[in-house]
Amino acid sequence: MSLSAIVMLIFGSTVLYGGLLYFIYRAFKAGK
Amino acid sequence: MGLVIISEKKEHWDSRFAFIMAAVGSAVGLGNVWRFPFVCYKNGGGAFLIPYFVALFTAGIPLMILEFSVGHMLRGPPPECFKKIGKKLEWIGWWTTLIPFIVASYYVVVMAWCFSYMIYSVDLRWGADAGNFFLNTFLGATTGPFVIGGFRIPVILGLLAIWTSIFLILYKGVKRIGKVVAITVPLPTILLIILTVRGLTLPGAMQGVSYYLTPDFSKLLHGDVWLAAYAQVFFSLSLAQGILITYASFLKKKSDITNNAFIASLADAGTSFLAGFTVFSVVGYLALSKGVGIEKLGIAGPYLTFITYPTAISLLPFAASVFGIMFYIALLTFGIDSAFSMIEPITVGINTKWRISKTKSTAIICMLGFFASLIFTTGSGLHWLDIVDHFIANFGLVLVGLTECIVFGYLYKLYRLREHANAVSDIRIGRWWDILIRFIVPVVLITLLIASLFENLTTTYMGYPAWAIIAGGVIPLLVILIISIILMQKRGK
Repeated sequence: MSLSAIVMLIFGSTVLYGGLLYFIYRAFKAGK
Repeated sequence: MGLVIISEKKEHWDSRFAFIMAAVGSAVGLGNVWRFPFVCYKNGGGAFLIPYFVALFTAGIPLMILEFSVGHMLRGPPPECFKKIGKKLEWIGWWTTLIPFIVASYYVVVMAWCFSYMIYSVDLRWGADAGNFFLNTFLGATTGPFVIGGFRIPVILGLLAIWTSIFLILYKGVKRIGKVVAITVPLPTILLIILTVRGLTLPGAMQGVSYYLTPDFSKLLHGDVWLAAYAQVFFSLSLAQGILITYASFLKKKSDITNNAFIASLADAGTSFLAGFTVFSVVGYLALSKGVGIEKLGIAGPYLTFITYPTAISLLPFAASVFGIMFYIALLTFGIDSAFSMIEPITVGINTKWRISKTKSTAIICMLGFFASLIFTTGSGLHWLDIVDHFIANFGLVLVGLTECIVFGYLYKLYRLREHANAVSDIRIGRWWDILIRFIVPVVLITLLIASLFENLTTTYMGYPAWAIIAGGVIPLLVILIISIILMQKRGK
């Protein structure tokens, strides 16, 4: 796999799964 | 918030988890597997993620917040919500609920195909030529839409099973939906992860993934790539179908809106991104095994699901049937949440207006849906499915989305919805949201509409005869418009 594809893989995963985890964390923190 | 009217004995979701799972289940469907990876590959590979994320944060999530806020604040299915804004606007609500009903009528047929293929996976019945099996043996596909051909019994049996499942899930109300989605949302995701891991261990998988993700940044200068990103986000998130409005109407008064919208949208996009690895790893393996280029293989729509993927499954060195069954179970469980969510707004709409029982309204709609689906089970079904889907998605859904922005952005005081969302949500939204709903999203949707109109006026869609376009594209849209107006005029109870 090319380096640029790996960079896009990291970029996509960070935004999507990182973002998802962050908002789930906020939901737990709010406790609603 | 003078417009908040809470009906007596209003049903509620059991928990926040149930609501989020239902919203995610509705958004994640067959399109995440057979549309996103192809759109991404075709529009710049990894570079497509940039316009895709821009579209997600400037249109997808703001529209989802809008629909959640409308349902939660006005507490009803779309016809009820639009009626509360203006009595003469009720027809827009019916129109919003009838469009997903039409979508469900053919979506369920694709699920029936998946159902049959799940059974066929046991002995890999498609054999060495999956294309011939799918088009001729299984579908009996005719040469054109007006060569109807006979009904396909295996498809009708699958159809019966799916419509019966939809009835059994919906007739008891949202509490049962909550219980169903607790299984049907995580299960296909787990299966997809297993299939991805298997796919990535196959020879040629990395070349496939490279095709999917290697960025071509020059494509970002093309307007159609940005349009494709907005279209992908818009069609994938179950927007403009009244589903999210209806689901949010069952939320408890203090439930969060904004954070739920972020979670549901990102879960949907995350599933699409993952599905790209599932698809392209296997496609890479197939390309290597057959000694052909990836671009020569069908990597989107029914061709990916029922020809390319089965061909690759047959070539697996061991447990081919197991992976075949897993793939079709994943598709079926991804699809069922989307299918019943498309039926829920109209059944709740009828149930609310005429005060008939949920069982009765669900039974009526499921039976009507079954009969509407029958045309797609004939030899000409694939042609009709293609035509109806093209026009309903490109014109019906986009028009509803645009109308929503105009009604809530201009005819209603949009700041009230924002204030309502902020009053119950952990994350507060600012005036930027009003700008997105009133200006940015409508401009994008108008551009999509003009682009589709231009394309359809300058070229005949897929070379189909004009009468087929009128019968499958124009007439359904007009009929649902007329029915919407009739339903508005009928006196409720």
